[in-house]
Amino acid sequence: MNPTIRRLSVLGLALALPFAATAADYKVGSGSTLGFSGKFQGQQFDGSFGKFDAAISYDPANLATAKFDVTVDVATAKTGDTDRDNALPTADFFDASKFPKAHYVTTGFTKDAKGDVVANGNLTLHGVTKPVQLKVVFNPAAGGARLSVTGSLKRLAFGVGSGEYKDTSTIADDVLVNGTLNLLPK
Amino acid sequence: MPLRSDHTRWSTPAKTFHWVMALLILGNGAFALWMDGLKPSLQKINMFALHKSIGLTVLALFLLRVLWRAIDRRPPHAPAPRWQALAASAVHGFLYLLIVALPLTGWAFNSAHGYPLQYFKQFNLPALVEKNDTLSQVLGNVHEYLFWFLLLVLVPHIAGALKHHVVDRDDTLRRMLPFGRAKQGSPTPPGDTP
Repeated sequence: MNPTIRRLSVLGLALALPFAATAADYKVGSGSTLGFSGKFQGQQFDGSFGKFDAAISYDPANLATAKFDVTVDVATAKTGDTDRDNALPTADFFDASKFPKAHYVTTGFTKDAKGDVVANGNLTLHGVTKPVQLKVVFNPAAGGARLSVTGSLKRLAFGVGSGEYKDTSTIADDVLVNGTLNLLPK
Repeated sequence: MPLRSDHTRWSTPAKTFHWVMALLILGNGAFALWMDGLKPSLQKINMFALHKSIGLTVLALFLLRVLWRAIDRRPPHAPAPRWQALAASAVHGFLYLLIVALPLTGWAFNSAHGYPLQYFKQFNLPALVEKNDTLSQVLGNVHEYLFWFLLLVLVPHIAGALKHHVVDRDDTLRRMLPFGRAKQGSPTPPGDTP
């Protein structure tokens, strides 16, 4: 495709999309990651979930119809440290036997002052539901799209870390979440 | 409170380095051996963090001590057979070596295991080596055995000090004691020249 045709087709797409009845529906393709970063003894550690699923409806031109519905198997968290990975699913943290899934559902999308798209939604984690915002970057790609989200939450707001593990001088309260999804048309 | 050592006694800084480091090293070793057997908990993690911070303090004190040693005077050796003087120097050399090797192997062990290293929850120090499980096990053992070796080297160190005090009745131990001072005008034993 030469640049002129590409520009025209993008233009055509931009014109056509507002009239589409629904946003494009996607499922999660391979190579997608869903991760988190915490801080332990002043040093950042990065983790990711081995198993999660997401139903994504997203159309940059029609955010009113967009929706994320993400389910995460919290027991599949891996952080590169055996002791920590063994501790995370226990009752001290995720309590995965009682609360095996975390669930995030959007309630709406807005744009912030910089023009970036922000997803507003509710995260249910460890049996607690709280609003969590995610910054959204959506890029159409060959045969689908690439969706990146970043956000932050307070682990103690969800009761992740019970008893002595509430100590934020050793394990920080702030946790960053990030996702990079390779979206395929449904 | 003499700032510098003279021919009758060690200076206050020299004594302070000696006794504070002795207390920190032996206390920290006993602390680690005791808590190593505890069940995993955040409290245990915090206790190990304290152990590491104390070890780093020993390392920092060692550097200051070497600096101080370079500018301070030293009281002369009490008269003793040549082999005893050599043995005392060898023991001191080993102790200095172990004072450095213990924190450094601990630091490397910590790094190889992939743990962060935070000094009294204030700031973090870099890793000495890459994360490596095999190396971590080796260094953990070396770290512990060095402590047992230190205790072994302390036997002639303490025995020598007591021998000077009780048998020779000289000032070797007294001049290093926190509030000790040399016996006024204590004569040099006959037949010996310093």
